[in-house]
Amino acid sequence: MHKRIDWPDMLFGLFLLLVATGTLVATRKLSIGSAANMGPGYMPRVIAVAVIGFGLFFVIRAVWRSLKNFDGLDIERVQSRPLLGIVIAGAVFALLVESAGLAIASVASIVIAAFATRDVRPLEAVIFGCVMAALSVLLFVTALSLPVPVWPPFLD
Amino acid sequence: MDLLDNLLLGLSTAFQLKNIGFCLIGALIGTAIGVLPGIGPIPTIALLLPFTFGLEPASAMIMLAGIFYGAQYGGSTTAILVNVPGETSSVVTCIDGHEMAKRGRAGAALATAAISSFFAGTVATVVIALLSLPLSALALKFTAVEYFSLLVLGLIAAVVMAHGSVMKSLAMVLLGLLIGLIGIDVNSGVARMTFGVTELSDGIDFVPVAMGLFGLGEIIANLERSGADRRVVTQSFRDLIPTWADMKAAFPAMLRGTVIGSVLGVLPGGGAALPPFTAYALEKKIAKDPSRFGKGAIEGVASPEAANNAGAQTSFIPLLTLGIPSNALMALMIGALMMQGIQPGPQVMTEQPVLVWGLIASMWVGNLMLLVINLPLVGVWVSMLKIPYRLLFPAIVLFCCIGTYGISNSLFNVWLMLGCAVVGYFFIKVGVEPAPLLLGLVLGPQLEENFRRAMLLSDGDFSVFLRHPISAGLLAVVAILLLAMLSPAVLRKRKEALTE
Repeated sequence: MHKRIDWPDMLFGLFLLLVATGTLVATRKLSIGSAANMGPGYMPRVIAVAVIGFGLFFVIRAVWRSLKNFDGLDIERVQSRPLLGIVIAGAVFALLVESAGLAIASVASIVIAAFATRDVRPLEAVIFGCVMAALSVLLFVTALSLPVPVWPPFLD
Repeated sequence: MDLLDNLLLGLSTAFQLKNIGFCLIGALIGTAIGVLPGIGPIPTIALLLPFTFGLEPASAMIMLAGIFYGAQYGGSTTAILVNVPGETSSVVTCIDGHEMAKRGRAGAALATAAISSFFAGTVATVVIALLSLPLSALALKFTAVEYFSLLVLGLIAAVVMAHGSVMKSLAMVLLGLLIGLIGIDVNSGVARMTFGVTELSDGIDFVPVAMGLFGLGEIIANLERSGADRRVVTQSFRDLIPTWADMKAAFPAMLRGTVIGSVLGVLPGGGAALPPFTAYALEKKIAKDPSRFGKGAIEGVASPEAANNAGAQTSFIPLLTLGIPSNALMALMIGALMMQGIQPGPQVMTEQPVLVWGLIASMWVGNLMLLVINLPLVGVWVSMLKIPYRLLFPAIVLFCCIGTYGISNSLFNVWLMLGCAVVGYFFIKVGVEPAPLLLGLVLGPQLEENFRRAMLLSDGDFSVFLRHPISAGLLAVVAILLLAMLSPAVLRKRKEALTE
């Protein structure tokens, strides 16, 4: 049997190391103070060091298991379509909502999000997008009085 | 008769017309998201949080709580009719509930589930009312030292009792604590880890984090799994009233489920997910003929359904009395309180009696409503299941975007949510539960505050946590929990208990 690394453990461990190192770098200028009178840098450093400990634990365990011929777990293949679809839908919403208004941003993000799955039906998505846009304007702007433009501001 | 006065105060609050209205809205939303698989109460409550800002505290909490226990009712409908759990807490209901439906007894199964939930909800309301006063009286004596130890216990116990690897969950708690430190340090006024972003100076808002991790991350992962067609059991629900024989068989199970749910709900890490599994396992163990289970045993519906509803409600006890959330959902509730300008903690009981007792009384009112909402109107909810997921998820994405934007009209929160969605997806891929992170994030500031105050008072002497008896006791429990987790025998038992 060929050796495999326990990828979930490995990646999670590396992620922890990355975050903790980032924290230590970001807080390097904050004073630590003493235990009796802690500075702003005390807690971040204590926790970051603990996180590094956990990160090392997972990385080492992943490697150790692969050396012991432990059949490591694989990560299911990452599919780009759902991930990109959802993230782009949200990003487009963020880019459009203030400049083009809630109505247009809603239709755009619904239609883009609908393409995140393979059984998308484009015409249905557009119609559904318009319905949802109308609903969200009614719900969030009319009923809950969210202060956001409904239409592009230059039309007013 | 303090208790009676308090309950009367609560009932008079809960029966105000507008609070009845908010309770009904909460119960309806809760049932809807409970019925629909793929939307849970966490993103829903996170989404609605910003809009509760303008409400009175009591009304806001009544509505949000209604969503939580309403989801427990709705989840069982889907479990019975489609064999897909509407919520994680109704996973076991699928086993015997769906089997009953396949044998033409869907009506009886739905009725048993609803009646068990109602019975358990009523009992749990009384349990909350009885336990709240003494617990908060005890907690009022706490200083920063005890409070710190209590917070540590809450976090550790929540990790130990929840699903998933303990080591990974501990790491997630620490990550949450770390993120919770972002923002301006209260004591020195120095900005920490804000990277020059002004939006971060008030700290990271947990609503976009919760929506990204639980809402969007889950959607992305759901879309990767092949979409199996849902097949709804279609039959008329004429016989919604269970027979006398059914009730006789179900009642003892209902009672046992209620007890299990009430006890497990109070414990840190409790809530609605663990109790039904335990209840089902117990029913199977004590049954005269265990082979009936899995073939439509009515006890297999009554007991878990009672347990999840009781657990959902009693998990409010640590929140109301100690200000400590026992699970991710209660962490959101803490956030709801803070949004209203109420500092969670034992003083809430005495300073906000209208809020606390109104909330408790509203739970009973809400359960009564849910009985009506779920039984005669079950057809309405079933028709909701016909909405295909390909339409449902874009709508959720849109609502999450608008909701996060609505918190403070800031685009930054939308970007933060999207970032958390990617991280949440990563967590699902590497098999890590995101709930402990949310707990750490919400409790982080309190933990640091109390730790620093305790150290200031003790002049930097760490042994202060062991010299105060209550604090030492709490930390001893933490140590026992951690040691128990390391012992292989307990690990195996826990795995069995959680997978069963």
